[in-house]
Amino acid sequence: MDEFQEILQDFLVESFELVEKLDEDLVELENNPEDLELLNGIFRVAHTVKGASSFLNFDVLTHLTHHMEDVLNKARHGDLIITPDVMDVVLESIDLMKALLETIRDTSTDAGIDVSACVVKLDKITGGSGDVKTPVVVAAEPTPVVEEVVETPVGDDEPDYDSMSPDDLEAEIEKLLQERQAEDKAKRNAKLAAGESVLAAPPEPTEEASSAKEEQKAAPKATPPPVAPTPAPVVEKSTPKEDPKAAAPAKRAPATVEQTIRVDVKRLDHLMNLIGELVLAKNRLIKINDDVEERYEGEEFLEELNQVVSIVSLVTTDLQIAVMKTRMLPIGKVFNKFPRMIRDLSRELNKKIDLELAGEDTELDKSIVEEIGDPLVHIIRNSCDHGVETPEERLAKGKDETGIIGLKAYNEGNQIVIQIDDDGKGLDTDMLKNKSLEKGIITEKEADSMTEKEAFGLIFKPGFSTASAVTNVSGRGVGMDVVKTNIEKLNGIIDIDSELGVGTSMKLKIPLTLAIIQALLVGVQEEYYAIPLASVLETVRISRDEIYTVEGRSVMRLRDEVLSLVHIGDIFEVERILDAGEHAYVVVLGLGTSKLGLIVDTLVGQEEIVIKSLGDYLKGIEGIAGATIRGDGGVTLIVDVVALMQMAKDVKSAPMADTSSAAAITEKTKPSDYTIMIVDDSKTDRTIMRKALEPMGVTLVEASDGQEALSILKAGEHNFDAMLVDIEMPRMDGYTLASEIKKYNKYKNLPLIAVTSRTGKSDRMRGVESGMVEYITKPYSADYLSSVVQRNVNFKAEFL
Amino acid sequence: MSDKLKQIINKQGDQQNVETDQLDDIVQLVGFVIGEEEYAIPILSIQEIIKPFTWTRVPQVPSCVLGVFNLRGAVIPLIDLRAKFGLQTKNQSEETRFIVMRHGDDVAGFVIDRLTMAIRIKKADIGPAPDTVNGDDTIIEGVGKQADKIITILKVNKLLERDF
Repeated sequence: MDEFQEILQDFLVESFELVEKLDEDLVELENNPEDLELLNGIFRVAHTVKGASSFLNFDVLTHLTHHMEDVLNKARHGDLIITPDVMDVVLESIDLMKALLETIRDTSTDAGIDVSACVVKLDKITGGSGDVKTPVVVAAEPTPVVEEVVETPVGDDEPDYDSMSPDDLEAEIEKLLQERQAEDKAKRNAKLAAGESVLAAPPEPTEEASSAKEEQKAAPKATPPPVAPTPAPVVEKSTPKEDPKAAAPAKRAPATVEQTIRVDVKRLDHLMNLIGELVLAKNRLIKINDDVEERYEGEEFLEELNQVVSIVSLVTTDLQIAVMKTRMLPIGKVFNKFPRMIRDLSRELNKKIDLELAGEDTELDKSIVEEIGDPLVHIIRNSCDHGVETPEERLAKGKDETGIIGLKAYNEGNQIVIQIDDDGKGLDTDMLKNKSLEKGIITEKEADSMTEKEAFGLIFKPGFSTASAVTNVSGRGVGMDVVKTNIEKLNGIIDIDSELGVGTSMKLKIPLTLAIIQALLVGVQEEYYAIPLASVLETVRISRDEIYTVEGRSVMRLRDEVLSLVHIGDIFEVERILDAGEHAYVVVLGLGTSKLGLIVDTLVGQEEIVIKSLGDYLKGIEGIAGATIRGDGGVTLIVDVVALMQMAKDVKSAPMADTSSAAAITEKTKPSDYTIMIVDDSKTDRTIMRKALEPMGVTLVEASDGQEALSILKAGEHNFDAMLVDIEMPRMDGYTLASEIKKYNKYKNLPLIAVTSRTGKSDRMRGVESGMVEYITKPYSADYLSSVVQRNVNFKAEFL
Repeated sequence: MSDKLKQIINKQGDQQNVETDQLDDIVQLVGFVIGEEEYAIPILSIQEIIKPFTWTRVPQVPSCVLGVFNLRGAVIPLIDLRAKFGLQTKNQSEETRFIVMRHGDDVAGFVIDRLTMAIRIKKADIGPAPDTVNGDDTIIEGVGKQADKIITILKVNKLLERDF
């Protein structure tokens, strides 16, 4: 049973691949009915499927393919011209074949689909054109029963020959030949006797099948006698083998057999995950290497470490690309179905449309290839229905009667671009606006201020439809908005260009892979966010006074455009603790036709990030697409640009006007309301300061270095009125501490008093630069220290 | 010699049997303190217990969800149980720990004030949640009675359930 399943799996995979190619070939065939090479190829597909399915006992499928094979075989021998009508039937039978294959895939049987109607049509084609004797065809028409009886004994008989000894075989052949001759004789007699004897003619079911075939091509069968006794399928097998050699040895280069193995997609996914981990580790290693380099500058082992790190990083990158490539599929897999679709659509719509494909070899990640199919179908249907005009209209406009839809794929940087062009009537912006107004999608005001690109973007609005009448093909107003969401799900963007009367061009820009992306890292206050680089158009540095407020929204001028702005902090509820500074950066985000300026505090840089999900617990947070782990081991959230643009519409605030540092200043009622922090790494020094200040009765908090002081400050348990800071400290020195503290709005006015043994002028200068207000040199008297502190905290005289 | 060995082995075997027998009706829990109360969760639902480290805030979540942190390459949510239980938030101390709990595929880290100890408790000594706590909605699995105190045992699957 397992073995059967395995064979079945192989059969299905193979069949689906064959069928996919079949569609394309058939449409091609309709254009070049004389192309023998194509015909041979198509015939072989039908034949292969038939052979395999009969072996697997899929009788219905065998029955269907058998008749397809008949038709194609006739065409192959020039007995039948492929007309569009014939093609319709063949295509119908291929659809049935696909349906059967799908049923087999899902249920392991081919029951439940009625093929008889199609088989009858196929038979009529073979019957109507050739000079086959009518009675034989009629005999074949009351179909399945006869066929099954015919096919089964064939399968049963065959292995027997293999197991026979040469002598026995010889005898068997002899016997069969005699039988055959006897039968032929009987048939000849029957012909002579006409009518009634035909019914008597089939004495044995085995011969019925071959006789039907034989009638069609008696000549080739008669000549090779050893083949003759073996039943029909074997004969068929020999023909395709001969034919390509004979017909086109030069034209079709023998398909070079590619060395491939089939790998479970799950394994590739797992591999991809592992690579993701590796990339993270690599990023981390690079960061550590940088730190080490800084600390041990000039040491010999650094060079060695550097080498190792760069090799690891190089190999990781190569490995990542290699694994990515294993998941790549040519986009041709998707494109293949379009020639057939265009053909069907053009017949349905009574238009003449040609499809031009280019760049089918362009490769894309498997998951994207799977997702991209449906959106493309929608777009192409739309192009056929709304884009390309009817032949009459086209002629009237002086265009060629046949419309052309171009579908091409190519690489552009880290993205792949799929471009769909048509030479139809183009998008009419006024019409788009009017329709949208009618349906209440936009307001009059919006319509007036719309740019051309924005108007094109209207076709992606939910509920929008340009077709005045709903057709079978499109016009229901669903579709294009789904296209947009699907493409955006892939982190892709859509770009439309159109000229009225000349045509429309749509570009889908999609990242090569989903798991690892390039991102721009930005900082806001103390947080970092990653923005997919694909959506970033540019970044600009602006000063505050370049931001204007229009109707409660912030905007800026970007060259000749007005760009609406939103502060990332307003979207992600970031607390404003740090002072924003005079300048800010604006990241210009572009999604299709819409643009938005995102104000951030800092730009960190570009980095390759691995997308990780936030898990079930936190999924679906608006504006967040996932998370990534940075080189330092921290987690950085990835911005969902699509959602962010939506959210930006609801955010109302003047981003940078906000200076809410109104830390409630509580009235001091007793000396202990004053809180002072002492930062010094020496316990003795701290004790000396403590002794000097204790008499005042103020509250004292101690920290042993800059880091600790900063975290105490951030913890916010105390409201400090002043800090006494030593300069020489481990981990973080006094200067750094002072400049860190001064970054916070809240502590702008917190007096920092340096207490140090450094007496140089330059030291004093540095102290002032970093924001110290006083500079006390050790040793000092307790009274002096106390008085300096009192002065700086405005110590109330009454407490003294 | 070999007799002795056999004896010893047999003895060990017996002991193990006894232990496994006991295991059947004994529940192993890990106790921890949040605010004033002591709680416990089954030891098997704990993936690990770690010292606090930095996490990344996530916007648009209730205040009890502090954010996400990196646990050896996995991004895991961090939930403050003080906030979840409606207590004042408190700064982390030396004793603060993250307990990473797992139930099926759901994993999350929980901030607790302090660990107490691993507790072995007989199943018989675990009573149901008080009647006042209603129905399936409770995150209380039961109440463990010990010599000198009672411990609230929490439902891990409820803790890991998204409730916003």
